[in-house]
Amino acid sequence: MRAVLRASAPILVIALAACGTDPAPEPTEQIIVREPGAATVPVVEAEDSLLAVGKAAFNTCIACHGIEKGGANKVGPNLYGIIGQAAGAAEGFSYSEALASSGITWTKEELDSYIANPAAKVPGTTMMAGAITDAGRREAIIAYIDAVSAN
Amino acid sequence: MGKWTRRAFIGAGVAAGGALVVGIAVRPGNPIDRLSPLVAKGEGEKLINAWVKIDADNIVTAIVPHVEMGQGIFTSLAQMLADELDADWSKVRILEAPADAKYSSSHIGREFLAPNLEVPEILEPTVSGSFLSLATAMTLQITGGSFSIRGTGQRAMRTAGAAAREMLVAAAAKEWNVPAGELRTENSMILHDKSSKSATFANFAAAAAEQSLPAKPKLKSPKDYKLMGKAIARTDIPEKSNGSAIFGIDADLPGMKYAAVKAAPVVGATIEAIDAAAAKTMPGVLQILNMGDFVAVVADGYWQAEQALATVQATYSKTEGDELDQDALFTRYATMLDEAGETDGDVETEEGDVGKAFASAATKVEAEYKVPFLAHATMEPMNCTAWVRDGKCDVWSGTQSPLMARKAAAETTGIDIDNVAYHNAYLGGGFGRRSEMDVIIMSTRIAMATKYPVKMIWSREEDTMQDHYRPSATSRFQGGLDKDGKAVSWSNIHTHLFDPQEAPTVPYYNIANHKIRKIDVPTHLRFGPWRSVDHSQHGYFIESFVDEMAHAAGKDGYAFRRELLAGSPRHLKVLDTAAKMSGWDNPLPEGHGRGIAFVPSFGTIVAEVAEVDMTGKKPKVTKVYVAADPGFAVNPDGFAAQMESSVAYGLTAALYGEISVKDGAVQQSNFHDYPILRINEMPDVVVEIINGDHKRLGGAGEPGLPPLAPAVTNAIFAATGNRVRELPLSKVNFA
Repeated sequence: MRAVLRASAPILVIALAACGTDPAPEPTEQIIVREPGAATVPVVEAEDSLLAVGKAAFNTCIACHGIEKGGANKVGPNLYGIIGQAAGAAEGFSYSEALASSGITWTKEELDSYIANPAAKVPGTTMMAGAITDAGRREAIIAYIDAVSAN
Repeated sequence: MGKWTRRAFIGAGVAAGGALVVGIAVRPGNPIDRLSPLVAKGEGEKLINAWVKIDADNIVTAIVPHVEMGQGIFTSLAQMLADELDADWSKVRILEAPADAKYSSSHIGREFLAPNLEVPEILEPTVSGSFLSLATAMTLQITGGSFSIRGTGQRAMRTAGAAAREMLVAAAAKEWNVPAGELRTENSMILHDKSSKSATFANFAAAAAEQSLPAKPKLKSPKDYKLMGKAIARTDIPEKSNGSAIFGIDADLPGMKYAAVKAAPVVGATIEAIDAAAAKTMPGVLQILNMGDFVAVVADGYWQAEQALATVQATYSKTEGDELDQDALFTRYATMLDEAGETDGDVETEEGDVGKAFASAATKVEAEYKVPFLAHATMEPMNCTAWVRDGKCDVWSGTQSPLMARKAAAETTGIDIDNVAYHNAYLGGGFGRRSEMDVIIMSTRIAMATKYPVKMIWSREEDTMQDHYRPSATSRFQGGLDKDGKAVSWSNIHTHLFDPQEAPTVPYYNIANHKIRKIDVPTHLRFGPWRSVDHSQHGYFIESFVDEMAHAAGKDGYAFRRELLAGSPRHLKVLDTAAKMSGWDNPLPEGHGRGIAFVPSFGTIVAEVAEVDMTGKKPKVTKVYVAADPGFAVNPDGFAAQMESSVAYGLTAALYGEISVKDGAVQQSNFHDYPILRINEMPDVVVEIINGDHKRLGGAGEPGLPPLAPAVTNAIFAATGNRVRELPLSKVNFA
């Protein structure tokens, strides 16, 4: 059989797209979120962003404190519904003598001053870590705890 | 060289400022002024038509109508032109031709290519409707088929260089009033030894254009080659080493945004609905598009786009392809092969009477081989940047087909091609994948929706799962041997034939009775050309079966093939060289084996011997010897590099390559489940080049690949007695 030298290629079928087809159809759905140059952060209500910051900031707390309804205590007590509760009330948690007998009711203001410096507010507390010096952050965390507890 | 007809001539002209510009002309009177802004750099420089220009500083620029994807042809093509021109290589520059139809013409192909390449006929549309010929490839400015050197180089580049040289000499002869025969050219200079006159090419560039065009420029014979045949250093390597090389993915425009895309996992499915609620809120997101066949997220940054895209939930339409899985696919092949029986299927070639010969053969050998789909896995993932606005379109990418890309963008946008510009860059791997237009079209569609420039980059997952694969295939053989162990019949039926048409045939083997048939088995997966195309599977199928016949004949693979090639001295020389290089008869340590394979493809004859160490848990290929005859290696270092890279690409496929299907979708996604060869697995590769026919060049990019897998599996058999009839080797338990 004679060898016919054919020149062929990694060429694909020339029939391809390039022959008299119509221009491409419009997108089935086009969601324009924003135009380039517009603000990169979507404008949301102040409250919403506070919660977002609070949620992110709560990551500092989550190592020791759960926040789900009916959730277990960890190193620290579960904080679901803490706002408005008496200090030392979480069931099954072994509080320090100092906190249990402090007589504090956890209003937002009380929580705020406690988180700012736990050892100063309640000397003898076993909450050794987690002090938050930034007032804005504390506000956000407390707002977050409040929002979660509302569900 | 072939006859020149009236339609074929060299056009030349002068650019303002005296630069001579010479090229292979398009039809007479064909206006090419439009090309000027595309290639003319100097102010007021006018291009007539060009593959070469010479400017006032005596710099020669070779305008190369092919793409550089690591195969080194920018350099080699310029080498060919510069050699014929007698240019000073240090003063040669290279420019990629713009994507323009004027750089190609079917007339050029038809007039010029047939005679010199000894192609008996140029194939017009084949049964499948695809147009497989050098002429068309040139026409559409495609790079592929391992033909840049043997086609464009041999015909256009050399001719343009030789013609320019003759015209320069004629101009000098006229000016100096001496016979042209007394002049010689060297290093971009014209010299008249008798009178010790000399001048640069630049001096005579303008005058040269006034000369009449040589009807038949004389091309050099190998003894006069100064650059061709030399291992000239590639011009693109320094920038690729220092990171300054620009690839398609490096496109950068002011205000450019990024798109991440995901197409329906099962090919043919459409997106019925998307839930983009989460994506809308994510940082950087600009738009979310349901394009019907894919989802795109456009964002300020690529990572942002990918993150947001991951949150988009899409529901897809049901398709027939949903049911397909890997086993069912091969079962389908087997069933259809069974149904074809002894008589059905499309006959590709037939001689003698295989039925009779096989029935009366002293020894009968039968085998079935299978190979999977393969992905291309180019290092640079699929990408394309497009900008559509105000009735204009610009596209940037790395493609093997710049003119096709430009046309695809024009068709997609509906904008007149004159207002569509396509800008090509280096390709981070082509292998046939980048000759497809899907990526260009998708990117253009996104840009049409946004109206600002968008760079679309496919994730590695998308790249792996939405490839145009090397198809999977099954091939069945029946071979008959006479009482002396001589092959008397060869019968083969296989699934799928795409390109090159002769891939399953073995005209070089002396077997009196043969019949080769194919059957078509459609699958919904997309397939496309993959380095060496159909030779990649047929090389493995054929050379494995030849080895099995050899074994049945009680002969070794080399000796058996020697007999089969007895009538073809040129082929035999390549086989003998590979055997000699490998020390074929030298004993190997226990657990080691040698295998030989022989595949001529793309005009080049290649034999490979692989040495495999089977003492470990999996095969380790330690050495590959490659003997190759490409007619003439224009750049021997470049040629050897292509053999080495074919070994790497082929070994990756042989060891690991498998794209499998489940529920209609591709299962693999990244290099953890579609592994590629690691540096410690690369064997030593020794290449020997035989320049067997300087008039008939073969290709370099692909021919080194087809013999690799069978050489390895034949070596495994020699070492262990284990015959591998299904790739990849990672599926085989060698313990």
